[in-house]
Amino acid sequence: MAADTRVDVLRRLPLLARLLKSRAFQPALMLLTLFVFTLAILTGWFGTPAGSRNFGIVFVWIVWWALLIVILVPFFGRLWCMICPIPAPGEWLQRRGIIRRAPGKLRSLHRRWDRRLKNMWLQNFGFLTIATFSAIILTRPNISAWVLFGFIVLAIVLSLIFDNRVFCRYVCPVGGFIGLYAMMAPIELRARDCAACKAHRTKDCVTGSAAGYGCPWMVYPGNLQRNTYCGLCMECLKTCPKDNITIRVRPVGADLLVMKEHRLDEAYKAFIMLACALLYSVVLLGPWGWLKDAANMESLPAWAAYAAAFWGINLLVLPGMFGGVTIIARFAAKQTAPLRQLFIDYAYALVPLGLAAWIAFSLGFVFANGSYALSVISDPFGWGWNLFGTAELSWTPILPGAVNLLQMGVLTGGLLFGINVIHRVAAHHSPGRALHATLPFAGLLTTLTLVFLWLYLG
Amino acid sequence: MMKRERLARLLVLGIFVALPLALLGYQYGLRPLTAPHRVIDIVAAAPEAGGFQPDSIQVQTGETVTLRFSAPDVTHGIAIGPGLGIDIGSVEPGQVREITLTFDHAGTFTFYCNTWCSRDHWRMRGVLSVYDTDGSLPAPSRDPVIDQLVAEGVDIDAAHSGQTNHTEAVALVPSPERGAVLLPNLTVPHEVGNSQRRRTHTLAEAAALLQAANPTASEQDVIDAAAALWLPSPAPPADTARLYQQNCAACHGETGSGQSLSTITTASEPAAFADFSYMLHMRSDVLYAKIRRGGMGTDMPNFGTLFMPDETWALVDYLWGLTLAAE
Repeated sequence: MAADTRVDVLRRLPLLARLLKSRAFQPALMLLTLFVFTLAILTGWFGTPAGSRNFGIVFVWIVWWALLIVILVPFFGRLWCMICPIPAPGEWLQRRGIIRRAPGKLRSLHRRWDRRLKNMWLQNFGFLTIATFSAIILTRPNISAWVLFGFIVLAIVLSLIFDNRVFCRYVCPVGGFIGLYAMMAPIELRARDCAACKAHRTKDCVTGSAAGYGCPWMVYPGNLQRNTYCGLCMECLKTCPKDNITIRVRPVGADLLVMKEHRLDEAYKAFIMLACALLYSVVLLGPWGWLKDAANMESLPAWAAYAAAFWGINLLVLPGMFGGVTIIARFAAKQTAPLRQLFIDYAYALVPLGLAAWIAFSLGFVFANGSYALSVISDPFGWGWNLFGTAELSWTPILPGAVNLLQMGVLTGGLLFGINVIHRVAAHHSPGRALHATLPFAGLLTTLTLVFLWLYLG
Repeated sequence: MMKRERLARLLVLGIFVALPLALLGYQYGLRPLTAPHRVIDIVAAAPEAGGFQPDSIQVQTGETVTLRFSAPDVTHGIAIGPGLGIDIGSVEPGQVREITLTFDHAGTFTFYCNTWCSRDHWRMRGVLSVYDTDGSLPAPSRDPVIDQLVAEGVDIDAAHSGQTNHTEAVALVPSPERGAVLLPNLTVPHEVGNSQRRRTHTLAEAAALLQAANPTASEQDVIDAAAALWLPSPAPPADTARLYQQNCAACHGETGSGQSLSTITTASEPAAFADFSYMLHMRSDVLYAKIRRGGMGTDMPNFGTLFMPDETWALVDYLWGLTLAAE
């Protein structure tokens, strides 16, 4: 991807640059989301146990989720991480301030995060753990509120022990997949001139300056090539004395082909996300009541079997199938790269299909249940309030005829994009025989897409 | 910058402290305090999850109270009886329905669910005691119909399904319409024509008396004529059909077939009112007593605390309508 195809947004929109450099901008948005987040926890604890009438369930798992997976992540990458309220209290305690740039070091025990955990594995297992209980968490306000509260407490505790956003970078189960799918986004935060960063001695973006803190995400913007770990907090924009940081519009999915940064933990994140989208579709949207009962912990043995199958499919079955196809592709294309490397590189082709699957899955329930948002906004606790006169609005599916078409379009787009990524990875490893490697993977991706389509349209 | 910082800190304090205090303080403190009268919040959960909470409410005559029903789990229907005619309708999960009441006389009433909500739906009841201004609560009155049955030695719970000598009549299909046409040409004994007596005797007994008074009439003619006499006239009020559908149909079936989704959960098979052989030997006052007192060991709950006697008689008439209309 040639850099000259990318559009420097901040050069074109200096007012936006000014806004993003303001120290009050990010905290203002965080305060807003913190308000909503606190309300979600309060409604979960004290409101009606009926999920469809509880603000906490409707606004977190329908409104926020739809906003995140259908709009924020695909179009703006990690923008949510910029305004996420979960790390906010911990970060403000660490900084001893909300807006101001407090002088001196961050306030924490300054412990070092274990090197073995500097990857996505914790996030992978964290997400799988949450996902295993998701039928419960997503529908029971009280449990949902405790989970959200647990996140905020964990984020505070980690920020008191470790500097910067260790929680966001290495622990947050949501942050993990946002990072993965942010690679698809058509925007990026990058250095305008990497050479200038290299030559810059003080590296204010890392160490911080009077204008701002060193990167809380522990990223060096000077050689940033992917969106995965940049939380768009804009500290580097504030601290860079050379005005060398910008936001650019770029081709969709450009990060997927940054081969040298491909890693097994990220590849597994791609497997887990795709498998979870498939399993969620089967359990939550499928017609199999016994499966729903098992996921809902109607009986412990049934749930244990469900959980074992859930983890097995995520960690063994899908990666196993993909590994098998990698072997076939390697053999067919006569590729010489190590199998592990090929397995990892090709796994990034699951990112567009996985994101498409999540969008399609989310469209299915967001269009069906979105109207609950109107009633809970007037009666967030289910206490019989009617703040805006909408509490009595009945459940109305939105555009029921259009949902399947949208799902089909999104999944087809994800499939084609995924095959394109496969082809480009194959061309990298065996320029003359890219098609030989592409075909087996195209078969697997097409099969997976057909399964999704069958679940949604069948 | 410090001004903004202070403002931001105030906002954080507002979110973490003032927001919960304001919301919870209003709901649990200010709202009840500023209400013009007592507000009683009642959680209406399925019986397996605790039923009504609280399930016992005390008020005084002349006191105005607002009852706020909320459903945490499934849809419930809330009504209060007997004799109040209060049906506040469905309460969907997460919704609140309220009613403001002022009682002008003392008594014991029942708030109950009239929408099938769970296996133990019929257990979903609460007691509303309205005390007189002197603190007294009228004692429940005895039911003369049940007392009379007891005095007669009638076993309300005895099995009675078409097991008598009149089995041959069961094979006949009664036509009350045809019977109505025949009646003017038949001799109708006084006791058969007496509407009060019809409540204490069976249709089979009436048929036997008719047959004796009209020896040349065919068995079919006699059964049809007896059915015409048994068909309630005038028909029960429209509200009775609603009462049946809300309170009885979940077990006995919408058409009185005795078959429903809950049939498999009851201790014994629900009575089939549409079955003529069952009703042929059934006394109306026994039906009345079963409805009001419940059926021992059958899972048939008592409805005497929910319905007035005239509502119960109307239900009995409605059951006969199911029997004879079904045939």
